[in-house]
Amino acid sequence: MPQNLHLIVALAMTFAAAPALAQSPMPGGMPPPPGMSLAESTAMRFPQPVRVGDLTDRLILQPVESQIILGRVHAVVRNAQGEVSVVMNFGGFYGYGGRLIAVPIDAMVLLGDEMEVVAYTPKQLAGFATFSADGTTPVADDAFLKVGLAKPSH
Amino acid sequence: MKSPFRPNDAPDASVLDVHRPLIRSLERRGLLRGGLTLGSLVMLTGCDVKRPEAVEAALLAISNLNDKVQALLFDPNKLAPTYPDSMILRPPKFNAYYDVTDVKPVNGATWKLELSGLVQDKRPWTLTDLQALPQSSIVIKHICVEGWSYIGGWTGVPLRTFLERTGADLRAKYVAFKTADNYPSSIDMAAALHPQTLLALQYGGQQLADPFGFPIRLRTAVKLGYKNPKWITAIEVTNTYPGGFWESKGFPWFAGM
Amino acid sequence: MTQERPTKERRLHPLAVRIMHWINAAAMMVMITSGWGIYNDDVIIHGLHFPGYLRLGEWAAWSVNWHFAGMWFFGINGLIYLTYGFATGRLRERLLPIRPRDIVKTVIDTLHFKIAHEDLTVYNAVQKLLYIVAILASINQALTGLALWKPVQFSSLVSLFGGFQSVRVFHFAGMVVIVGFVIVHVALAVLVPKTIWAMLAGGPRLQSPKPSRGLSKS
Repeated sequence: MPQNLHLIVALAMTFAAAPALAQSPMPGGMPPPPGMSLAESTAMRFPQPVRVGDLTDRLILQPVESQIILGRVHAVVRNAQGEVSVVMNFGGFYGYGGRLIAVPIDAMVLLGDEMEVVAYTPKQLAGFATFSADGTTPVADDAFLKVGLAKPSH
Repeated sequence: MKSPFRPNDAPDASVLDVHRPLIRSLERRGLLRGGLTLGSLVMLTGCDVKRPEAVEAALLAISNLNDKVQALLFDPNKLAPTYPDSMILRPPKFNAYYDVTDVKPVNGATWKLELSGLVQDKRPWTLTDLQALPQSSIVIKHICVEGWSYIGGWTGVPLRTFLERTGADLRAKYVAFKTADNYPSSIDMAAALHPQTLLALQYGGQQLADPFGFPIRLRTAVKLGYKNPKWITAIEVTNTYPGGFWESKGFPWFAGM
Repeated sequence: MTQERPTKERRLHPLAVRIMHWINAAAMMVMITSGWGIYNDDVIIHGLHFPGYLRLGEWAAWSVNWHFAGMWFFGINGLIYLTYGFATGRLRERLLPIRPRDIVKTVIDTLHFKIAHEDLTVYNAVQKLLYIVAILASINQALTGLALWKPVQFSSLVSLFGGFQSVRVFHFAGMVVIVGFVIVHVALAVLVPKTIWAMLAGGPRLQSPKPSRGLSKS
């Protein structure tokens, strides 16, 4: 009996039969309704105080059932207008690599010890300019910011 | 938890409620049939089994049996692992059967906790009344049936203390909860009396925030997350199976850890 | 091994083994596909999500119910199988000895497209290794499953695997190993249909008497 084919077939078929990478819409981290400002949408999401230092390195997910990783929190910065953004690496693999972009913190939500971008699709994020620190100041680790919430996406 | 918006043809809760007593009384027969149906159906149809009534009934019969096995496995003196305060996730993870934008905050000033069933003193409680009771703090892992978990720090009145103060019949089978968000829930008395079961008033040393169940919620270290109702408005001690929100949709009732 | 001791005629797969094999096959199908339904609510590998047609249970609650029903069939059948296998010496007879150089040789033969013997009654080294891995993975599934089901009652088991989330990863990894095994096992059985017939009807009669303890077949 050719059971010694085990090895070859194992490799071939494990990859061939690997379940599809799927994503689906969900009612968890819904994008804000059209016309609503990011700040207004955060206000609807019961924003809770979170320590800035606790956000560093958190995974940032797409709000879909397959919880696709968009990147990680690199830093939190404030611009001259006082607007706070999360600097994240984007376009890498599994949270590593890619380039830095700054996403308004009101476009994001807390999901346990992870974050999600609810106001922008990955396609929109791909259009964001690469982050430049000019004109921004880092927000101190010990500072607290209020960030909206969402339920898990499925 | 599963959103009620998916799937579109969500199971009809009333059908299950109607069937539950019947299933309980026919448990042995259901189990036997369950074993046979389970085996034969899987053989015949592989993984694409829809939910014919017989399969559903068989699965629920086994689920009821599992509840009994779980009750036997439960050691009332076994404590869940606890963690240092530094590991508390702040803020905690939000979850409900709807998204956070639909949370309806409860007014703590007018809120009252009603009591019913096998309780001697049924006078309603205010938040101030509860705050005056002895409090206890635990840092425990919250584990959701979905698989995620986080470490949370909770302070509140041990449910045992509350039940003793109100003269509840501690030999009754169930403690049931009603909530402001229409999320009925219930646990067995053994879990209610466990030292790590609290009527939580605080998280991380601060008053519970609105999305996490203000003014009070249940936090028990010995049950899965969905057995921890938030925004509690009424407690009933009873010997009649009270069920619960997800239980009526098919999830197991005991859900013990 | 030329004793002429008269023995009761033995089949490659005694009836008890055949029954347990098919119960296990069904139970594993239930556990794997319902497990995928449960997995979906909080993925372990971000981006990996099982489509509906692969899942048992219309949504999570029913996947949970299937899983917690299937576990009894998988667990009890598995316990009986292991007890039987050790008590009768079947596991030892079929799966031992297993030598690294035999594995290397089998792999090299395979790479040269040298298909081994047609004798169903002797497992080659890679076959033995795969069955051992499948058994160990199943034991892993039972232990991690118990830890996930009762993380407080069996909290020391959870610690042993490095915490609750770590147990989930072990449970998932065990599934991957078993699925890999099942795919290869089924593919080869289909390629050599007489193996399927053997698992249904019992297979060839064994010539040699049952080995006594300490006497291993080579």
